[in-house]
Amino acid sequence: MKRLSLAGLSVNQKLAALAVVLGAVAVFGAPSGGSPMGDREFAINPRELAVMVAGEVDHVTAEELAGWILAGRSDYRLLDVRDAGAYAAYHVPTAESVPLAELPGYPLYRNEKVVLYSDGGIHSAQAWFLLKAQGFPGVYILLGGLDAWKDEVLFPALPAGAAAAEVAAFERRKQVAAFFGGTPRSGEEAVAPGAGGAMPTIEMPQVQMPAAAPVARPVKKKKEGC
Amino acid sequence: MTAPLFKYGLFGDEASLIVAFLIGIGFGFFLERAGFGSARKLTAQFYLTDLAVFKVMFTAIVTAGLGLFYLSWAGLLDLSLVYLAPTYLLPQVVGGLLLGFGFVVGGYCPGTSMVAIATGKVDGLLFALGIFAGVLAFGEAFPWIAGFYNSTARGPLTLPQATGIPYGLLLFAVVLIALGGFYGSELLERRHAAQAGEARP
Repeated sequence: MKRLSLAGLSVNQKLAALAVVLGAVAVFGAPSGGSPMGDREFAINPRELAVMVAGEVDHVTAEELAGWILAGRSDYRLLDVRDAGAYAAYHVPTAESVPLAELPGYPLYRNEKVVLYSDGGIHSAQAWFLLKAQGFPGVYILLGGLDAWKDEVLFPALPAGAAAAEVAAFERRKQVAAFFGGTPRSGEEAVAPGAGGAMPTIEMPQVQMPAAAPVARPVKKKKEGC
Repeated sequence: MTAPLFKYGLFGDEASLIVAFLIGIGFGFFLERAGFGSARKLTAQFYLTDLAVFKVMFTAIVTAGLGLFYLSWAGLLDLSLVYLAPTYLLPQVVGGLLLGFGFVVGGYCPGTSMVAIATGKVDGLLFALGIFAGVLAFGEAFPWIAGFYNSTARGPLTLPQATGIPYGLLLFAVVLIALGGFYGSELLERRHAAQAGEARP
């Protein structure tokens, strides 16, 4: 009986045979229940999450976020987890309104980078855990929430007696504030809120981007090709 | 360790640029080694005299397809986190035809024109200038074509989702189609070589 000899085959033929074998085996085994995008079973690793929380790697500062919006980045989605009324009153430009209760069913792809914010940090932190539990790896929280957005971006303050470097940085922040429709505070104004006095009533700017702000999710296309 | 490594935070934005650079160098290197720095070689594809482009690209597809399947099966890769370019049916059909037209006329596609430049080819440089001119024209004209650009959106779509054929079976079918295609292209090339031999005195 003639033995089938591998030595008689060219490299290409061997590779082709290997591909056929691997392809045939693939018919009988399928990851994630037959669909490449199907729901993977996802085990929550509390220790891993705890390390992440402690390491504060999941934070985006208000200034960073402002920079992303200014740069027109569309590689992330900004979700406002407050209720619809609060969203209507004011929201960070480009944010989508997703009240916390609607978050679990909200159409998000797991390969998206998601930035969450609420007024302070509690609701967004809770939303963070909800998404983490669903296996979203790229979830971030706006550090300090909308409060920090107001303090650092919309109404940045220059403390009295600031160093030269701080003043220079403040000039830049003033421009950013103007872009988002806020007004910088300086001098006595800036000291007042911190001095235990009543927080001055801040008029929130009308939400409008110089360029037409996308209401629906930002369109993003990645160019790929040979 | 689970892939995609970037999505699992193995490296950050800055490091990802270095990784992309290294992968790009590797991609360019293998394109060049496949002979794709030559417009003659690339356009021979369209006259069915040399099907190297088809063979190299389909080999890459089969290799990547099998690799992704088995890595995912082994639990080393979370396929749901791999970026999928969203489907826009009509714009992509029109765009594909335009790219093919430019490919036949100019002799390169965007990536191979870069390879041609790297090997010092002037036609590659002119082709790349054409790309930039086209990009500029597209950007300026975008407000008028944005409606079409975003039409017939289907979101990220995979063949198993679109056809309902189980993933493994579909992968096997792609492997068989590729191998059949390779066999057919070798026959075509042999026939052409024979004809070229006869034509010679």
